[in-house]
Amino acid sequence: MVDAIRDHESAEFFDGTARGELMIKRCVDCDHDSRPTALACPACWGSRFNWVSASGNAILVSWVVTHVRSSSTGESAVSEPIGIVELDEGPWLHARLTELDPTRAAVGMPLEVIFLQAGEEKIPAFRPRR
Amino acid sequence: MSVALAGLGITEMGKVFGSTPSDFAAEAIRLAVADAGLTFGDLDGLLLNPGVSHGALGIELAAALGLRDLSLLALMNGYGSSAGAMVQTAALAVDAGMADTVACVFADAPVEPGRNIGWAFSGLGASQPKGFGSLAATTGIPGVAGLYGFAARRHMAAYGTNEEHFAAVAVNQRDWATSNPYAQQRTPMTVEDHHNSRWIAEPFRLFDCGLVSNGGVAVIVTSAERAADLRQPPVHLWGWGQGHPGYPMERGSEFGLTSGAVQSSRAAYTMAGITSTDIDVAEIYDCFTFTVILSLEDYGFCAKGDGGPFAASGALGRGGSLPTNTGGGQLSSFYMWGMTPLSEGVIQVRGQGGQRQVGRHDIVLVSGNGGILDHHSTLVLGAHPRNSRG
Repeated sequence: MVDAIRDHESAEFFDGTARGELMIKRCVDCDHDSRPTALACPACWGSRFNWVSASGNAILVSWVVTHVRSSSTGESAVSEPIGIVELDEGPWLHARLTELDPTRAAVGMPLEVIFLQAGEEKIPAFRPRR
Repeated sequence: MSVALAGLGITEMGKVFGSTPSDFAAEAIRLAVADAGLTFGDLDGLLLNPGVSHGALGIELAAALGLRDLSLLALMNGYGSSAGAMVQTAALAVDAGMADTVACVFADAPVEPGRNIGWAFSGLGASQPKGFGSLAATTGIPGVAGLYGFAARRHMAAYGTNEEHFAAVAVNQRDWATSNPYAQQRTPMTVEDHHNSRWIAEPFRLFDCGLVSNGGVAVIVTSAERAADLRQPPVHLWGWGQGHPGYPMERGSEFGLTSGAVQSSRAAYTMAGITSTDIDVAEIYDCFTFTVILSLEDYGFCAKGDGGPFAASGALGRGGSLPTNTGGGQLSSFYMWGMTPLSEGVIQVRGQGGQRQVGRHDIVLVSGNGGILDHHSTLVLGAHPRNSRG
């Protein structure tokens, strides 16, 4: 896995993952919850956010399994499934799916967040809810 | 004033090495100008759409070609919607009297000898991302095929679209490509061939994915009046539209279920004064088989969710009710972003399709789709001036 590297914009997000919390942005004006990358609230176009901790529960929206063929050996490497997940609070995230057999994946499947090390930072990933 | 496409230039295409995007663009413009019976000196506008390769196109090309005193010059990029958007911008400029004769060009050279072709579109040549960009990289975001795969999987779950439907699109377009001398892939394909092709990003196999090509395509936009005096049959612009839905990535998003083709097609049909039933031939942007299925629905050729069965019905093939992607499209002919459907649309309207020419070609639809279903453009092309329609 490549390293996650924090910058000014993502610092509070990675502070959260280090604590085991998945941080999202809540609009100061209308309380709508948005993705960590939001620059304006999609509900009211407000520009002021508070970082809040999401529950970590989500459902599966979509997923793919990538096969990357080496140009030297011709062998294909199969990835773990990668998903779009919908947090209980509403925002969608792209994330790794772990402990999930892709042949058993289904839209709406309940998931929960876990945190994986990616260099010096931790990143969110999702597994079937226990 | 009405506006027309008067020239088309298509360079050598595919695994063509040793030329830069600027070389391909220059050659495409040269071919398009000659096709129209014009010279570089007749151009007073140039619009350029760069691809993904290093050393991509810039407006410096104008000076390199010796073009002087242009009244319109710009680099445009709406990804796969760009070809339609360039033609629209050129048409507005011609209609406003800002320019008389505008070349619109796309050129790219992403394929390098010995490189896995996915490399060019992977962003691997870019520097290590930081912040949320690096977070995206850690998830292993699976390239363009995977991102469209997310969309396709949603559609499959919602409407029962399946790999038989995908195969129908791929097989149909390969059949058309067998009659297209420009096509990179002309070996006939069966449904079994499709199913046996290797996975790229499940649910997509290799034969669900567009090709990658080096090359360039240019068209010349001018007034219909002027086009009538030039070498080729004019291709009249009846209507156009764009749609950039900006679907939010959150609960309730229609990502994967509809695209900007809904908005874009409605605008284009209204401007052209037609409905989807008036269209004789459709040239639909087809970066993936799924893109065709979704677009057919959004253009109103079938009900929402019925794009797969419609594609599998034979409607898109020779003798079908809606001959579609008659040159083989990006799946089987060549990948020049929106210039792939546009160039074939021009050829069909003119009646110059040879073995693949569709008998009835009065009104031809051209779509352009960019981003991950984020950007859409539509052109309605006519063989006759719109006001002369009987």
